[in-house]
Amino acid sequence: MFLQTQGITKEFGKLRAVNNVTLEIKKGDIHAIIGPNGAGKSTYFNLVTGYHRATSGKVLFRDKEITNLPAYSRCNLGITRSFQITSIYPKLTVYESVLMGLLSHRKVTLNFFSSAKKFFKEEVWRTLEDVGLADQANTLGDSISHGDKKRLELAITLGTEPELLCLDEPTCGMSPEETDIAMSLIKKFSEERGLTILFTEHDMSVVFGIAKRISVLHQGTLIADGTPQEVRASEEVQKVYLGGSA
Amino acid sequence: MLQNQIKEEKSLLQRGWWLILLIVLSLIVPFIITEFYLTILCEALVMSLLALSFNLLFGYMGQLSFGQAAFYGLGGYTVAMLMTKAQFNFWLSLIAGPVLAAIIGLIVGFFCVRLRGIYFAILTLAFGELIFFIVFKWHNFTGGDDGIQGVFPPEFLKSLISYYYFILIVFLLSAFILWKIIHSPFGQTIISMRENSERTEFLGINIARYQLIAFVIAAAFAGLAGAIWVPFYRSVAPSYLTWIKSGEPVMAAILGGPSLFFGPILGMFIMTFFHAWVLGFTVYWPVVMGALILVVIFFLPGGILGFIHEKVNQRRERLNQLMEK
Repeated sequence: MFLQTQGITKEFGKLRAVNNVTLEIKKGDIHAIIGPNGAGKSTYFNLVTGYHRATSGKVLFRDKEITNLPAYSRCNLGITRSFQITSIYPKLTVYESVLMGLLSHRKVTLNFFSSAKKFFKEEVWRTLEDVGLADQANTLGDSISHGDKKRLELAITLGTEPELLCLDEPTCGMSPEETDIAMSLIKKFSEERGLTILFTEHDMSVVFGIAKRISVLHQGTLIADGTPQEVRASEEVQKVYLGGSA
Repeated sequence: MLQNQIKEEKSLLQRGWWLILLIVLSLIVPFIITEFYLTILCEALVMSLLALSFNLLFGYMGQLSFGQAAFYGLGGYTVAMLMTKAQFNFWLSLIAGPVLAAIIGLIVGFFCVRLRGIYFAILTLAFGELIFFIVFKWHNFTGGDDGIQGVFPPEFLKSLISYYYFILIVFLLSAFILWKIIHSPFGQTIISMRENSERTEFLGINIARYQLIAFVIAAAFAGLAGAIWVPFYRSVAPSYLTWIKSGEPVMAAILGGPSLFFGPILGMFIMTFFHAWVLGFTVYWPVVMGALILVVIFFLPGGILGFIHEKVNQRRERLNQLMEK
């Protein structure tokens, strides 16, 4: 078993944002979590990546319980995430930002006397070329375009060489062209690096374009889980998306 | 890529020549200036070491420590007490200073690194004052407000010039080590924490742990600064640990520029020499200092060196653009 949540619930005061969700994510899948606004997608995401702790239920990764592990430990196990509001290093160069992920993952951050710039040159350049940011390697994070920032965050997370990459709204705020580029990148990494990808997304064309499996949340509850065809055919899903909150 | 490498090497050379010039100058300076100014220079070097230790936390990790003088004072008291009360050897006492500061730094840091921003600053201030009050009130053990007098360095370091060279060597070595740390993977990690701690945590970094390590390193170097100062001044007093003393590295960093390695050193040199010079005219030094800080904050927000650095970069860029045309 790769990643599994067992009856996971998160309450914020009286609000039950995620309600008893049992779900399995298989290795190598591109798995989308969808649902209307306020469905609990981001909260579910945060429970998997360690941003929030579950009120009850369990999160298992490779059969090991990680429910109460802090975010950095989950990352060290192989779970890395991006954020809905792009989270990069504004005053570090693109190169340095990608390097940081590698320094952390390859466990050299307790080296006090070697020059950081000497490490992992090849890997950083390869990642930068893969995402198409090599020509901006020496530019500061906050001086590149919005779409490039999203790609930079992707490159930073790839630096940690994750097994499970969680992307929170990876195409949020992107132009249609940028969205296409981002989608093909995600697909490419899933195939080439054997990455498992879990993502939330509001753009249905993106979801049905690349997801191999889709789970639908509605008011915190899992109402459908299956292949894109199965989900598209589900009556309950149609009711939620077409018939409002009935 | 190749072009960038060439650029990097060139700027390293450019950086190198003025540093070599400064070091050569610092070697011959005792024969040029008066004893009064040589004493001030010793103070400026020791305080610069304190400022560098502070700036590891402030400029690079992005956390304001307002209790750095407590470690400076602890280093000084360790040397003074070991030498006068336990008749310890000078060199052993000198090593014990930063070691004790680091141990207390570990204990204080354990609590402080759980917080960030203003709460971190306030907690370091509170711990600093706590340590000050213990030293100040524990008359039997520390001498209380009398402090400790008669701390003498070994015979060959008793002259002003020889102790100046001793301070210079310790300062250069410490600055070199801190420079290496800042440019190491560890340094890159604390800089990343400053830039975006959430992103860094989600790359697998235990933020509190790295903050604690940086805090202990900073405490050790602050302790070392205190340890080399006390035998020079032949005495130590509780005022070394006060929050007013802690404010000096803060002001030096802001004055010189916290984002550059040499910023706090420049700031501390300006403050120390300006202080000595202004005292010749007026006792209202804080008023002059306050005005100076105000001018820097309003007109040179990156500090004096930060401002120069920016101007030089802009000029270089303009030259590059012209060359391309």
